[in-house]
Amino acid sequence: MKRELRNQSEKGYPGLLISIEGTDGAGRTTQIERLRSWLAIEGYGVVISEWKTSSLIANAIDLAKERNLLHAYTFSLLYASDFADRLEHVILPALKAGLIVLTDRYTYTAYARDVVRGVSPEWIRRLYDFAPEPDLVFYLNMPVEILLKRIIASSGLDYYESGRDIGLSTDFYESFKIYQRKIISEYSKMEKEYNFETIDGTLSIEAVQTKMRKAIKEFMDSGVIR
Amino acid sequence: MRLSKKHELPGVLIVVEGVDGSGKSTQLSLLKDWLVSTVEDVIFTEWNSSRIISDTTKKGKKKNLLTPRTFSLLHAVDFADRLEQIIVPALKAGFIVLADRYVYTAFARDVARGVDPDWVRNMYGFAIHPDLAFYFHVPVEVSLARICSNRAPKFYEAGMDLNLSKDPYESYKIFQSRVINEYDNMADEYGLVKLDGKDTIHNQQLIMRDIVKKVLTEKCIRV
Repeated sequence: MKRELRNQSEKGYPGLLISIEGTDGAGRTTQIERLRSWLAIEGYGVVISEWKTSSLIANAIDLAKERNLLHAYTFSLLYASDFADRLEHVILPALKAGLIVLTDRYTYTAYARDVVRGVSPEWIRRLYDFAPEPDLVFYLNMPVEILLKRIIASSGLDYYESGRDIGLSTDFYESFKIYQRKIISEYSKMEKEYNFETIDGTLSIEAVQTKMRKAIKEFMDSGVIR
Repeated sequence: MRLSKKHELPGVLIVVEGVDGSGKSTQLSLLKDWLVSTVEDVIFTEWNSSRIISDTTKKGKKKNLLTPRTFSLLHAVDFADRLEQIIVPALKAGFIVLADRYVYTAFARDVARGVDPDWVRNMYGFAIHPDLAFYFHVPVEVSLARICSNRAPKFYEAGMDLNLSKDPYESYKIFQSRVINEYDNMADEYGLVKLDGKDTIHNQQLIMRDIVKKVLTEKCIRV
């Protein structure tokens, strides 16, 4: 019997779209890798799409960031171009082919970051309204103090992750705290609005993974799969 | 948003619109020569010219990789960058800013490519409302004759990405007619000053200068 993930008519494609959201250092990438191997072992085709990775536009974003030239709307539109390009060349074709698409960040990242940088919440939501709504959104919630420690211990504080471009404070540490707090507050406003599956990011990697798998299984068993 | 209200900046923003071959660039250049000779503080900016994205757009165009949505977004990036780096600072400093194409180009072209009109209007909502917008109207045959007198229409200007026709000339006519149609519908919506692009260059320029003079006088700039 041909097994399709879902009834085509509902969303116009048979694939599943699952997004992982959370601030830098929340553990998104690790979790996605583990989900990928689990789903592959279960026999599902999986495609991962990460934020800012379109072959066409990602470079332009890096160059512009290096020159620190970006105004809020330019910044926002560049990321939206990257997203549109990935959506049409990677995400949608995979969904149409019946694959499970795991996205490392999704439109909610833009809703959080760009609003903190001063664009209007309605404007940014309207800008991304061509994006299909994910079937599941996991939000890895982390307190800012723990994030700080994780990031200092790994990559160090980055200019944009610290929101230095918006002039919050000339002190990196302070700037990071203020910026990430604002981001987290935007995310928490979205939890209800977009029906996030919020997971405590301070739990162990295994514990977070177990929760995600359980939610995905429940979702698949809820009758979405034919 | 900003686009729907008058700006309070000391400068003056004058834009020209119209399809390729409508004569708008010729007219803007004549206007510039005249203004520079009397006012001095004049700057010029052109559609799709910011350094930030031009390589990307070129690459995407070369590979014909751009969907109408991505195409539209990339032009918006270019515009946002020029707006914040060039147009807004110049208006704050009291310059006369002359723009060859403005948001209306996107409203016409992107919609002709099938992008939702409300979506693209929202996207450009952060733009500054121009003090004056001229629209040079020509029939599509005139546009085609002027642009393609010695070369074939290019891929995107002919809308070849839309598979309207295999013949670039035929495709150009279908696509640019849609663009003209969008411009015509916008003239009222945005109060564009419509000029006849088939009129002599001199006549059009005289009409333009008259209207510009009035707007500048309101801003207490003497020409």
